[in-house]
Amino acid sequence: MPNRKPGSEALRAAACAAICAALLALPAGAPRAEYGDVVINNHSDKAGMRPVVFPHWFHRIRFSCKACHADLGFQFRAGGNDINMVKIIDGQFCGACHNGEIAWAIENCNLCHSAPPGTPTQVHESTLQRMNK
Amino acid sequence: MSVLRTWVFLPVVLGFALPAIAQQGKAVYDKSCALCHAAGVAGAPKFGNASDWSPRIARGAAALYASAMNGTPKGMPARGGNAELKDADVKAAVDYMMAAASAPKPAPAAAKPAPVATEKPAPVEKPAAAAAVTAGAAQVNSFNRLMRPASRQNPPPSEDGIHDPKNEGTSQLQAPRSAYENLPRASAGNRVNWVAALEEKRIAPRWDRADPKAVGLVLDFNIVREVKGSMPDVVYPHKQHTEWLDCSNCHPAIFIPQKGANQISMASILLGEKCGVCHGKVAFPVSECRLCHSKKKDLAGPAAATGARP
Repeated sequence: MPNRKPGSEALRAAACAAICAALLALPAGAPRAEYGDVVINNHSDKAGMRPVVFPHWFHRIRFSCKACHADLGFQFRAGGNDINMVKIIDGQFCGACHNGEIAWAIENCNLCHSAPPGTPTQVHESTLQRMNK
Repeated sequence: MSVLRTWVFLPVVLGFALPAIAQQGKAVYDKSCALCHAAGVAGAPKFGNASDWSPRIARGAAALYASAMNGTPKGMPARGGNAELKDADVKAAVDYMMAAASAPKPAPAAAKPAPVATEKPAPVEKPAAAAAVTAGAAQVNSFNRLMRPASRQNPPPSEDGIHDPKNEGTSQLQAPRSAYENLPRASAGNRVNWVAALEEKRIAPRWDRADPKAVGLVLDFNIVREVKGSMPDVVYPHKQHTEWLDCSNCHPAIFIPQKGANQISMASILLGEKCGVCHGKVAFPVSECRLCHSKKKDLAGPAAATGARP
């Protein structure tokens, strides 16, 4: 490669390295849960339970958005629904399906209450969550 | 500097030196593998470096194919991070890299005219330095969720950071990868193209929670929003939205159902309003600009119109 300026090669190599570095992405310790996973911690911590993880991806394979967000009145905001176990047992919110008929019933506490204690309410990987950090 | 130069040009040089190797392998390598393997980033076996490759080749081509297809815990993303590559493409690229690594000994003698031979002396291995540099830089870029290698995507609940591994229920939860196996892939979000998955009937989400047969009213009606600046105009398809959602989900609380009545900006979307109520939370994220901004502006029109003004 004759007559090539060393500077331009350094730049090129740096650019190459930068692209490669970008591909390496997140450090191993950072949460890397599914996009759209919702953590709900309105009452859990106070009640001595693990916060709830709601996996959007799992539910959207099985139900349209409408089934929960129109029919059951779930607001489009993490923590924006005043859900508690009394309402769920009464057939509201999660309890409309998690009643042993459409989906497994509420005695499986730790399938929902599965986040590490103290995890704040959030939509994992949402734009807002990223901007607040 | 000469070492740097080598990293950049080595693949090209060897590409010329190995004319017999399938073009396909080289094409795939250039597109999907070279970013890391050209420089030996993060311990990736460096292209053409016999000492990096020989222990791997010794374990057999099948093992290398498997690592390339499935990824490795050390950081190799499955299919080099390009989910669209077919098995044959991946194998061709592996063959190409294996051949390049075992070729250098005969290559200088057998191959090609002067330019190649003069470039040859430099290829000494200093991948360690490269890895160190990029490892530091990786921390700087760690915010970038879009650049995560495929091997780190869709981990099982026990490893995803928001499920408590100490919780007994965590291990009973389905791992996303097992659900995504047969779904069309995407480059962001869950890495699943949900709209295509629905269109291709790979998934059949119930419209009514209790009635598997209920179907919604799908409205096939596009709305074009002309946008400021140079971005292509936005095409909003009612069809793909009404396949998932009820009219009442968006109208009238989020969008007033009347042309021109809604002020929408990227700022509000980023703040979780308007389209951002779903896009950036659960529907495909705002990084996928062109999925919405998809209608090229008629440049002749506006140019002629503004031409009057200097």
